Amino acid sequence: MHKKMAFSFPDEVLEHVFSFIQSDKDRNAVSMVCKSWYEIERWCRRKVFVGNCYAVSPRMVIRRFPEFRSIELKGKPHFADFNLVPDGWGGYVSPWIEEMAGAYPWLEEIRLKRMVVTDESLELIAKSFKNFKVLVLSSCEGFSTDGLAVIAASCKNLKELDLRDCEVDDLSAHWLSHFPETYTSLVSLNISCLGSDEVSFSALERLVGRCTNLKTLRLNRAVPLDKIANILRHAPQLVEFGTGTYTADVRPDVYSDLAGVFSSCKELKSLSGFWDVVPDYLPAIYPVCSKLTSLNLSYATIQSPDLIKLVSHCPNLQRLLVLDYIEDSGLEVLASSCKDLQELRVFPSDPFGAEPNVSLTEQGLVAVSLGCPKLQSVLYFCRRMSNEALVTIARNRPNFTRFRLCIIEPKTADYLTLEPLDVGFGAIVQYCKDLKRLSLSGLLTDRVFEYIGTYAKKLEMLSVAFAGDSDLGLHHVLSGCESLRKLEIRDCPFGDKALLANAAKLETMRSLWMSSCAVSFAACKLLGQKMPRLNVEVIDERGPPDSRPENCPVDKLYIYRSIAGPRFDMPPFVWTMDEDSGLRL
Amino acid sequence: MCMELQLGLALPGSDTWSRPLLKLGLYEDINVNSKKRGFDHGYLEDEFSAASFKNYEKGLVGWPPVETWRRKKLRCQVHNHMTAAENGYCGGRASNSTYVKVKMEGVVIARKIDISIHQSFETLTTTLMTMFDIFDENRRSFKLTYQDKEGDWLIAEDVPWR
Repeated sequence: MHKKMAFSFPDEVLEHVFSFIQSDKDRNAVSMVCKSWYEIERWCRRKVFVGNCYAVSPRMVIRRFPEFRSIELKGKPHFADFNLVPDGWGGYVSPWIEEMAGAYPWLEEIRLKRMVVTDESLELIAKSFKNFKVLVLSSCEGFSTDGLAVIAASCKNLKELDLRDCEVDDLSAHWLSHFPETYTSLVSLNISCLGSDEVSFSALERLVGRCTNLKTLRLNRAVPLDKIANILRHAPQLVEFGTGTYTADVRPDVYSDLAGVFSSCKELKSLSGFWDVVPDYLPAIYPVCSKLTSLNLSYATIQSPDLIKLVSHCPNLQRLLVLDYIEDSGLEVLASSCKDLQELRVFPSDPFGAEPNVSLTEQGLVAVSLGCPKLQSVLYFCRRMSNEALVTIARNRPNFTRFRLCIIEPKTADYLTLEPLDVGFGAIVQYCKDLKRLSLSGLLTDRVFEYIGTYAKKLEMLSVAFAGDSDLGLHHVLSGCESLRKLEIRDCPFGDKALLANAAKLETMRSLWMSSCAVSFAACKLLGQKMPRLNVEVIDERGPPDSRPENCPVDKLYIYRSIAGPRFDMPPFVWTMDEDSGLRL
Repeated sequence: MCMELQLGLALPGSDTWSRPLLKLGLYEDINVNSKKRGFDHGYLEDEFSAASFKNYEKGLVGWPPVETWRRKKLRCQVHNHMTAAENGYCGGRASNSTYVKVKMEGVVIARKIDISIHQSFETLTTTLMTMFDIFDENRRSFKLTYQDKEGDWLIAEDVPWR
């Protein structure tokens, strides 16, 4: 009876219904209902998300989704952000661009994260996709301003060019001038990562002036403060703005010019930049503060009093990124002024200093957790913590979805009781039932993992460093965390037993990273042999793993599920364990 | 005194945040250094064993977990009085490896230090003094030298930080 009903809808009707389903997860669910839904869905999927570029091949994606317009790809493991993945590891986008260039002249959007992008690929994009609209490169590297120049010159319909936190080779400051005078469709431009001399001011001003739909503009450090006024004058409609260097000799005319131009930006909701900030110029932004929902001061090296003044002007703040100069006192003010705060990130101003340079402790986090009822995402660097504080935080704020705590010194115990912080983090996972992401730090035993395995049922990503006592810790996580997709571990005494006992679990996850742990080469080989749908990669710069005894621990291990089989673009220091030989070079 | 140092190690989060007095020889000093740098306890047992030497050599890569681009951008801020054009160091691709080997005369073990996290000779010298445990009063008798491309040893402070 039900079967008949499913087939009685014409495809067009189903397609129309599916067009309202945008989320990747939902689309995947729809495609699993029955064969005909799978077929209909795959023809009308317009956005494809590939969380690990090595999990599937470009050809497989193109075969399944013949008409997508937008693709998002992620490459290197997250720990690459902290220099743990050696250069040359992989994550090359060119095979993808080459395949799509042939098959998809109508591709409109490409979003890449932690991938290696070359100028050749950028040129191929510019040449192949006539209606190309969106290029977002997040933490990517391998390209230069030459590639950007080609994009600028050729993509007449480009709306978004976002280079966030990329490493770009500066070859010419004039790539911006390659946007033709007739080009006006820019909506979003983020060049904040570009080095000192990679921008030409006059070209920038002209570009901003003629692109009347520009909503997001994030400048790089090279743009001086006195140029900002001119730029903003051309774009009072901006919603998101990132300044360049926010320093200049204090001059009343420059100040009033700046303040005046900020007042005319009635739509401004997000501010960032603020390199080299001079506190005297900060009040220039006060006119827009009351409307600000997002403020990124994570490069602003100003002290607590100036930060407090600024923050007190922003009652509608939802997102704040700031350095620990804000101190506990500043966070207390934040807690009382910004009741809409949803996300807070506090970065260390002196991460390598042996001793604290600011008065920022667990108290600041406690204050914010108490005062901000909507707070759900936290990244907090500090130098001390207590179980008591963590329990209080968990009780205050059970709506956390992301909780990342970094106590700077590894294995730091509870400063009040000298005990491990197991109970504190245990409270976090117990009270915060919707927790999706967790980063641990401090002194932790296997017990914390028992808590995590027991309570963190919605946890999708876990980051662990210098924690645990034995394989039992890893076992708790792998056997208990039902929703786990990404697990990254460094410097923990986890070895073969937990990994091999939970091999099947690894196929339900996107990836597992383990570095400086105790997993032996033998175990890696075994895993690679037993699990054909996992790519087990050993990264070891000391040389081939078989030049050492089998029970020797490998340096780094990256395991991910894949239907594309082992990859062939590995550098000499990466070996994949597969079912044939156990060792493939 | 030995006991005090050991206590210092066991209480990483002491309220006073004061460093234990360093009055003893090299072995104890290494203890304190390894506490500050968070190294493996294996290092305490035998500082000459290959494994612990390597651990120390490598330093603590990627910790604390602050993204490399964020570190670079923050570090570059000390140069805020230079014009953007001059400050080529902060632009473009930086080499991944910013670790430099430092050896102190009379000490067997060389140390490795990440140059990129320092903004001036002041901070570099202070860190090195701490690493090799040279007390304030003895600071002046030590000089920081570097070896240039031709292999000549030159005084570091004679050239600008960049």
